[in-house]
Amino acid sequence: MHVIVATDGSRQSLAAAKHLKSFADPTKVTEISVVAVIRPLASVAFADDVSERGFDGSFRDAAQSAVDTIAAVFEGWGPKVNKRIRSGSAANEIIKAAKQYDAGLVVVAAGGRGLSDSVLVGSTAQRVQHYAPCPVLVVRPAPKPKKHRA
Amino acid sequence: MADSTTAVADTTDDEGGLKRSITGAQLFFYTLGDVLGSGIYVLIGLVAAAVGGAFWIAFAAGVTVAAITGSAYAELVTKYPQAAGSSLYVQKAFGNKALTFLVTVSFLSASFAASGSLAAGFASYFGQLFDGGGPPALLVSLVFVAVLVVINYIGITESVVMNMLMTFIELSGLVIVMIIGVWYVAEGNADFGTLTDISVSGNPALAVLAGVALSFFAMTGFENTANVAEETIDPYRAFPRSLIGGMVVAGVVYVLVSMAAALTVPTDQLAESDVALLEVVKQGILPFSTDLMTTIFTIIALVAITNTTLVTLVTQPRILYGMAREDVVPGVFAKVHASRRSPWVGLLFSGLVVGGLLVTGTLVTEAGGKLDLVNRLALVTVVFLLAIYALVIVTCLKLRGHDEDERAFRASTPLLVLGLVGNLAILYYAVYDDPASLYWCAGLLAVGVVLYLVEQLFGGRSRPRPGTASRAPKGDS
Repeated sequence: MHVIVATDGSRQSLAAAKHLKSFADPTKVTEISVVAVIRPLASVAFADDVSERGFDGSFRDAAQSAVDTIAAVFEGWGPKVNKRIRSGSAANEIIKAAKQYDAGLVVVAAGGRGLSDSVLVGSTAQRVQHYAPCPVLVVRPAPKPKKHRA
Repeated sequence: MADSTTAVADTTDDEGGLKRSITGAQLFFYTLGDVLGSGIYVLIGLVAAAVGGAFWIAFAAGVTVAAITGSAYAELVTKYPQAAGSSLYVQKAFGNKALTFLVTVSFLSASFAASGSLAAGFASYFGQLFDGGGPPALLVSLVFVAVLVVINYIGITESVVMNMLMTFIELSGLVIVMIIGVWYVAEGNADFGTLTDISVSGNPALAVLAGVALSFFAMTGFENTANVAEETIDPYRAFPRSLIGGMVVAGVVYVLVSMAAALTVPTDQLAESDVALLEVVKQGILPFSTDLMTTIFTIIALVAITNTTLVTLVTQPRILYGMAREDVVPGVFAKVHASRRSPWVGLLFSGLVVGGLLVTGTLVTEAGGKLDLVNRLALVTVVFLLAIYALVIVTCLKLRGHDEDERAFRASTPLLVLGLVGNLAILYYAVYDDPASLYWCAGLLAVGVVLYLVEQLFGGRSRPRPGTASRAPKGDS
């Protein structure tokens, strides 16, 4: 089975990748494609919050760093890991990638628990769930987040 | 290192693994949409007042200087295809952090002022929908900015289709003006003498220069195309063509529209109007209901202004984000929303600064200050951008021989020199003509400096600095 692990550069997407690894059987997964989507007309075309790397003005480099970081999670796990960067609308591109690679599962992170997520419809995870050609694993944040103590 | 294991591979699949999405045609319309919306709808009256019936010359001269500057951008973008734009080029050329900071903050300030001018212009046209009545202009412009901030946050602006659609609507308004002009000429009513009339007393060349300075706001916006440099398919071919092509088409449209306006409406009437292009439609030259045409045209103008304002509002949080990631301004500007991935702090801050400009402008006017807010903020934008444009041309020349790539576009050197002189001449005149605009420039620069100081005094090194990357360095090509 080909699994697509989508990343928007958020820590939650890193958590989603780790979650997949925590329960899935690596002998059943033939291939993993880590997919990042750059949104060219957005203010911040790609925000990388997972790698240690600084931002030098290139959103492509930022996406590459995020994809590298997520791919590193699956290193040595078994399945072949591909890194892919696409460009356009996040949900559309993830769905297209799922069709193109004939994916058996798409893993996405659902961002916050905030008001905006319940009020404003149309987030990426939601659209992927509705239109993906295969099952979708939506990894939501844990209900009680750890408080950051300085 | 991690990347050396065979299990992890950068795939070069059917779409190269690194798929880009902006086509040359989309880039062309992005340029056109960005340039055309800013100014022609709001400023044409002022330019007519400064020059007289021959004000099309000012538009022609201004767009020429802008297109030459565009060729410098095309060269630099094809050499350094990153979203950072002018700040990046200046850093590459001079390696001076203070200068880079000044350019970045100037660019941010220009963008704030442009949004303010456009928002005020939006309010002028909006008022036309309500025969004299309607809500107060300040309220309209503030609500306008607030709505755009929300739209931006949700991400509707990211739709390429939406962008193309708005650009077509934008163009249609100008096409209507051109059709009216052609119709009028065909009916044999046109007095072509108007087109050579420089009615202002004194030196005609200076009058034209004044017109160029006033109209230059209408030429700006093309620099934002650097935003999508990385995502353009075949940038070496697409960029120069789309950017310069877009500027040339914008230039032709501007000249034809200003000729049509000059022929159909008496110059003094254009000069007195806040919504000068609407005066052309109100002449009732076409055999349709003038009321209906006026309403349609007003809506088109509102869409045009909205389109351009959206692009400027996208740019501001982006600049703040880049600066925050480099620890130049406070780290909160690097915050992106958990699921929407939009830089909501930067967006909110931009909205507040633009709102602040609008409120300040209105207060100054009410206190009896003679101030045309649209014009003042347009001029402030132009002062910042002209300085940046001139510097970018210098940068382009200075970076010749560095990072050369045979695929990169190479602008004509004599033209660049001409463009540099042009930018500086317009800059000199703009400041000379309206020195008070410098106070506004200083005020906006102060916003950037304050953010810098806040970061220096209170900001921790919240993020790893570039260079401490854990990732293997990329091979320099």
